[in-house]
Amino acid sequence: MNLEYLWHGFAVALTGQNLLIGLIGCFIGTLVGALPAIGPINGIALLLPIAYTMGLPAESTMILLAAIYCGAEYGGRISSILLNVPGDAGAVMTAMDGYPLARQGRAGEALALSGLASFVGGMLGAIGLALFAPLLAGLAIGFGPAEYFVLMMFAFATLGSMVGSYPAKTLIGCTLGLMLATVGLDATSGAYRFTFNEPELGDGIEFVVLVIGLFSISEALIILENQGRGMTVIRELGRMTARLSDIVLCTGTALRSSLIGFVVGVLPGTGASVSSAISYTTAKRISDSQGTFGKGDVRGLAAPEAANNATACGAFVPMLTLGVPGSGTTAVMLGALMLYNIQPGPMLLVERPEIVGGLVASLFVGNLILLALNLPLVQIFARVLTVPNWLLVPGILVLSIVGVYSTHSSVFSIFLMLGIGMVGWLLRKAGFEMAPIILGFVLGRVMEVNLRNALAISGGDPSILFSSTICNVLWVMAAAVAILPFYLSRRSRRQKAVLATK
Amino acid sequence: MSDESHAHSGSTLKVGRAAALCLLALAIAYGIGGSVIEYAFSSDPLGPRAFPVALAGVLALLAVWYFFAPGPAEGFPTGGLLVRVLAVPVLLVVSVALFEPAGFAASIFVLTLGSALIFGAPPMKALIGAIGHAALWWFVFFYLLGVYLPVGTLFGG
Repeated sequence: MNLEYLWHGFAVALTGQNLLIGLIGCFIGTLVGALPAIGPINGIALLLPIAYTMGLPAESTMILLAAIYCGAEYGGRISSILLNVPGDAGAVMTAMDGYPLARQGRAGEALALSGLASFVGGMLGAIGLALFAPLLAGLAIGFGPAEYFVLMMFAFATLGSMVGSYPAKTLIGCTLGLMLATVGLDATSGAYRFTFNEPELGDGIEFVVLVIGLFSISEALIILENQGRGMTVIRELGRMTARLSDIVLCTGTALRSSLIGFVVGVLPGTGASVSSAISYTTAKRISDSQGTFGKGDVRGLAAPEAANNATACGAFVPMLTLGVPGSGTTAVMLGALMLYNIQPGPMLLVERPEIVGGLVASLFVGNLILLALNLPLVQIFARVLTVPNWLLVPGILVLSIVGVYSTHSSVFSIFLMLGIGMVGWLLRKAGFEMAPIILGFVLGRVMEVNLRNALAISGGDPSILFSSTICNVLWVMAAAVAILPFYLSRRSRRQKAVLATK
Repeated sequence: MSDESHAHSGSTLKVGRAAALCLLALAIAYGIGGSVIEYAFSSDPLGPRAFPVALAGVLALLAVWYFFAPGPAEGFPTGGLLVRVLAVPVLLVVSVALFEPAGFAASIFVLTLGSALIFGAPPMKALIGAIGHAALWWFVFFYLLGVYLPVGTLFGG
């Protein structure tokens, strides 16, 4: 296996500038993750335009964003444990046993142990990424336009069946994203589509405008609605180191959960919320012989934390090798690459090894930085939970406006962002998630271009989409992931009905 | 915040159905818009119309599915909370409208003061916070990061 790219990547990640960027990213990421109001996508969305405007090279921007992403996965545990409110989606299950531990006066231990579990998950995930990325990129090098189009259909099928309980909403979100991606000049025909004669829409809706509108503006309104819902921070942290007996007890759980997390992360469209739930329920099924899960069992704490950090690394695999994001956050990072006019895909590893290698190497370095930051400084991060919303949210709004203005120098773009933010808020009230819209938007142009290129090659014959083994395997996989959840839920309902009649 | 400030349960079905109808209307409008895209030539057999029209069809089908199985929706805020929520976009529009004529600092002062008050800050703390925000962000972006920000045409910028 050729790991030359990784050694090249360490040379990139270990430069003074990139180490500093990684450190800043880890610090900001942990803060962002700790705040219940904002998650990694918000943090990345707000900082992406600033990194771009500062003129950072693409690899440094990716290192910054990856550090924020991983830092947020570490930080998410802080509010789960101390506040019983998850800092991000991946930390939902952490509260199940983390908060009861904190109520028992073991908050400091829980923070230290979950920090170690996060480190194990993050490191194993980074190793998996380093080994798996060249393999998958090697396989995908033979992909043509038809294979790419079918791959994206597979990504949407995975997304529809695995994200949330309502596939219709997820798929509507994807379709809305695809539709937004059609706005602007069509490069093949020179036609302007859905621009309403507005010159600023000629280049399409800018990624930064969409992502900040959907995630930051709508989030500010959601925070306003939710503020004051009786949250009490546990301030007595107690002993700040993990017990050796607990570390030994959690080792198997953390290793298994890291593997689960990585595999789930590799699947396009799924994220930390899915992996942490699977790893928690697996740990509970295997280890909960005495009914201690949910009452402060350290294994119930280690499982989701190891899983969500491994997932963050796994999600980079399809993003870097196929150009298909593994999670909402990597979708935003994919958009960041496009901001630099870099087309992700299997050739990225060959053409820009400094980006892929630098990012992978930065995950190893970042995890060490995060462990060093999170064990001794956790009390400082915990204090961020006491920042009032009236001070925090105006800052988010300022960053949103400056982020868009600094990238486009246009007031029109800010108004467009506000409009998108309001629509995003309405959609969230109707129960939609925002990540599928971003995934649809990011994949939209690539999907259409590949479909049209495939049909141009075949002279308009759609059978080209079924002409290769790769295409057919992907169609079968897409059908399987689309049908399987319906079959499983139906079987589970039938089993429940049988049990009820007995 | 009390739960009474959110419309709940029975209305969530209505919210879902109303959203489904809006999405159906969007699909129809988008499909019509896509089918009349003007172009002189296209180097591929599909052209610029087919993809949007196909997406309109997919969205219409999904909207029908969603109409009959809307799933849960969050309630919309009502009463005083609704007024505060709606005040945020109004404040944002005013601040953005001021952005170029009044300049970054004045616009951000208005935005942060207003939003701090909406989020429940005592007036004096909101004022101090807004001055702090305007000064801090101006320093960070203009001096530290070198981001171009408007000084304000009203002030000769």
